[in-house]
Amino acid sequence: MTDPVAVITGAASGIGAACAERFRHDGWRIAAIDLHDSDADLAVTADVRDRAAVTAAVDEAAARFGRIDLAVTAAGYYEEGIDVADIGHDQWDRMLAVILGGTVNTFAAVLPHMLARGEGSIVAISSELALAGSATDLHYVAAKGAVLGLVKSLALEVARTAIRVNAVAPGPTDTPLLAPGSPAREPEYLATLPLGRLVRPDEIASAVYYLATEGSMYCGEVLSPNAGAVI
Amino acid sequence: MAAHGNARPAAGAVADTTPDHRRTGPEVALVTGAAQGLGRVTALRLAAEGFAVAVNDIAADERLTGLATEIGGLAVPADISAASAAPAIVRAVADALGPVDVLVANAAAMAMSPFLDADMDQWWHQIDVNLTGHFRLIQAVLPGMRAAGHGRIVIITSGWGVIGHPNATAYAASKAGLIALAKGLGRELGPQGILTNAIAPSFIDTEQLRVDADDAGITLEEMRQRYRDEIPVRHLATPEDIAGAVAFLAGPGGSAMVGQILQPNGGVTRTRA
Repeated sequence: MTDPVAVITGAASGIGAACAERFRHDGWRIAAIDLHDSDADLAVTADVRDRAAVTAAVDEAAARFGRIDLAVTAAGYYEEGIDVADIGHDQWDRMLAVILGGTVNTFAAVLPHMLARGEGSIVAISSELALAGSATDLHYVAAKGAVLGLVKSLALEVARTAIRVNAVAPGPTDTPLLAPGSPAREPEYLATLPLGRLVRPDEIASAVYYLATEGSMYCGEVLSPNAGAVI
Repeated sequence: MAAHGNARPAAGAVADTTPDHRRTGPEVALVTGAAQGLGRVTALRLAAEGFAVAVNDIAADERLTGLATEIGGLAVPADISAASAAPAIVRAVADALGPVDVLVANAAAMAMSPFLDADMDQWWHQIDVNLTGHFRLIQAVLPGMRAAGHGRIVIITSGWGVIGHPNATAYAASKAGLIALAKGLGRELGPQGILTNAIAPSFIDTEQLRVDADDAGITLEEMRQRYRDEIPVRHLATPEDIAGAVAFLAGPGGSAMVGQILQPNGGVTRTRA
């Protein structure tokens, strides 16, 4: 089989699951890494903080499918409504370890396979909050902002190869990450968005799909399908 | 890693803003500056995506009419910097194909010279075509888009409008104006279902390179290499690369994109526009 292969972290739910669905629909094979079981051609249950586990999962995908065309780093979680002084050391460390550390771990695991083939695409899921800042979720925003620096720097490091590294910074998206009582679901907030609604996970998957399939001239780009949250 | 919390929102919590397809016939796209290069390839791509495409350029020559024939569309030649052009173009498109659903604002004038050597005619010509011409066209297509309750406006700006360029200050200023236009219209028209975004290419492998090479007194291949050296990925964009960005923004996958500036320029600009 020569169908392209995508490694997707956080593929069991939300944006990761939407990406898996979209790429599979278009004929890709999916290797999923998530704390929970995923609907994928290869579903690995692992914590992205664990570099050895992530590397093993990626190596298994490469061995089984013979190629890795794309990595999407969607693993993450969200905490909001916390003043900066109340963000505990453990909370801070865990957020950075999952979102930034998990992204680094995945980049490091897929890059040797892509360098060996001389091509590939990496799309990190960041957040519109990293573009404009946000109050009371500072640890999440700091981690997502660090991902953008990582993306731009790796993009330059591999620019002369056919490996592209870019980010998608979703606006407030209708996934389980936004709790039922989240302020982002309140009509008063939605009314501030030019599109007046949350972003759908499939709209994020469309941006990722576009970067992966027609994005050879993007190098360190941040695409933000955000319903107008950040313009 | 999965999210905390298992609650899923009720179905239908997010409105579907995909265009209303009850109207019969294909959606209509209007592409300015379509006689050659990026505009031409964009028209071909949108036609391949199923749009009925009207193509505009300044001259009613065979390049434009031939393209219109090739894609089964309509040629609407006009100088968009003329005040009377925009209403006439939009009326002609509406009569032949239907109201414009997608406007691709691509036509551009460029003149390079040191800032102090640039005369006011050069300044105003670039502002009149690039910025004011499209301002007028957008005004002309809006009533139709509002009536339809949807629309997409895709503005071709430039990497130089993001980061500037020596000896191209008027061009860069006009293109930066288009970025602000895209953002302002994104905010103003988004609530009406009309999505405005922009694309900021840098060096594209088009006929313009021959002009640039002649101006610089070097061969075409030397010109290509000179530009490649300025691009982190070390290759020029093809018109197809940029047409792909237009297709994304004009198509169903672009439905959450509003007021955004895409920068498919190989890493020439890596800042947020």
